[in-house]
Amino acid sequence: MTTLTLSVWVGAFITLCCFSFLIKDNPFYRFAEHLFVGVSAGYYFSLISFHQVLKPNLLAKIMPSLFATGQAASAPPEYTLLIPGFLGLLMLFRLSANYSWVSRFTVAFVMGVSTGLAIVYSTQQFLIPQVAKAIRPIVVAGDFFQSFSNLVLVVGSISCLFYFFFSTEHRGPIYGNLSRVGIWFLMVSFGAAFGATVMGRISLLIGRFQFLLSDWLGIV
Amino acid sequence: MEFFIKLKNLDRRWVFLFVAASVVLPMLFKFDFPVFPGKSVTNFHDFVDKLPEGSRCFLSFDYDPASEPELGPSAIAILTHMFRKGLKPMCGGNWPLGGEMAEASLAKAVEIYTATYDELQAAGKLAPSCKKALVKGDDYVNLGYKPGAIIHVKALVTDFMGPYPSDRDGNSTKEMGIFKNPDGRKFAMSDVGMIVSFTAGTGGIESFINVAGDHKRPMAAGCTSVNIPRFITYIQTGQLVGMTGGLPGAAEYEKLINYMGKGREGMAPQSIAHLVIMLFIIIGNIAYIAEQRIAKNKKA
Repeated sequence: MTTLTLSVWVGAFITLCCFSFLIKDNPFYRFAEHLFVGVSAGYYFSLISFHQVLKPNLLAKIMPSLFATGQAASAPPEYTLLIPGFLGLLMLFRLSANYSWVSRFTVAFVMGVSTGLAIVYSTQQFLIPQVAKAIRPIVVAGDFFQSFSNLVLVVGSISCLFYFFFSTEHRGPIYGNLSRVGIWFLMVSFGAAFGATVMGRISLLIGRFQFLLSDWLGIV
Repeated sequence: MEFFIKLKNLDRRWVFLFVAASVVLPMLFKFDFPVFPGKSVTNFHDFVDKLPEGSRCFLSFDYDPASEPELGPSAIAILTHMFRKGLKPMCGGNWPLGGEMAEASLAKAVEIYTATYDELQAAGKLAPSCKKALVKGDDYVNLGYKPGAIIHVKALVTDFMGPYPSDRDGNSTKEMGIFKNPDGRKFAMSDVGMIVSFTAGTGGIESFINVAGDHKRPMAAGCTSVNIPRFITYIQTGQLVGMTGGLPGAAEYEKLINYMGKGREGMAPQSIAHLVIMLFIIIGNIAYIAEQRIAKNKKA
């Protein structure tokens, strides 16, 4: 039995174990669940984290002659990387109940950088383009459908924003009605999201059946 | 009425069985449903088609095996198209298993490209620079996973070699032909002809829109069905040139490159399963209304 055949059989067995949950919870499903968690953690720490991140981006740069390959092996060591390396080590203090607070320095650093970048870029790339695109002429001469589309966009944007304004009670002829229209727009968007979710879940099921019927059984 | 109320209490396992049958039967009987490429997929395809030969494109695989059935077929179709147009895909991943997903997609795309090379070459449908044997490191590369998402993408803006000193297999990137610039400059984001992210959630295309959008690099996305309503807004703002959404998006792209892959094969089961689910929703609603009426009549 080749490695490929063995992996297909293991894959098929695990798939059937997972499908068995549809009947009811059972030891086969729990076996597959526990196996998945264990294998994922082991695979992530040994193969991904070490070989694709720690080794090339830290160890090979601090000790190039030992860990780097090709021209990079003769490059001078980058000792400044000891600082992020040290911050990374601090994260291991999470495992200690008494000293877990030490890891907060690293978390604070990461949060600071991420938040700083996210605020600037979110405003520049998400908020402003979306607002700019929502400002549309309601009447486009000679193009009824474009006019209607723009009207839906403008009314939808304004009414949804009204709905999410919680400082005033959703009552009255203007505020109450507009927020009610906003609810309708939100309902339509939830419907679209639900439809897309169903489509996604069915696609995953199709993927599994394609594997079982084609790769495993070879009947399609 | 009584019949519908009985159906309301139908054991959910019957529903699972019907959905499973609606997926399996079209596969067994090889139903082939027509696929009509939409505007966003066509725009994506046309943009790739018009990129100058030899352009290096960065493809980020921001998903894991849980989303492979949806995003894998898109990635394979797009990579195959890029190879046929003489483009050079550079694959990476913001998700831990992104490098592994890229490896599988690259292997399949190279297989399809090699298998169809002679036929397409004879028909004159390949770019003039296309050669049958693709070389890893010169014609394509898999750079593997790097953490950091937006911070990582920001580092790519000035220099790819910093975050990617080696590829997924540990080979030094400095010696690779794909990263060489004629004027000897460091390879940076500005040298990338197009950025594509296959996104299953956070840390994907939005990280690139955040940073690379600032540098005016053209971008496109392949996303899971769940994310279509979220990412479609970037098509409207023009921040994405196109998008393949879920398995139907993959099927549309496959149609455009004239390849029968898992996307197109999945369209018949997908459509029939949707009809079955719609039927159950309608039956459920009729049963609900019937139950309400009976309760109302009893009260009266």
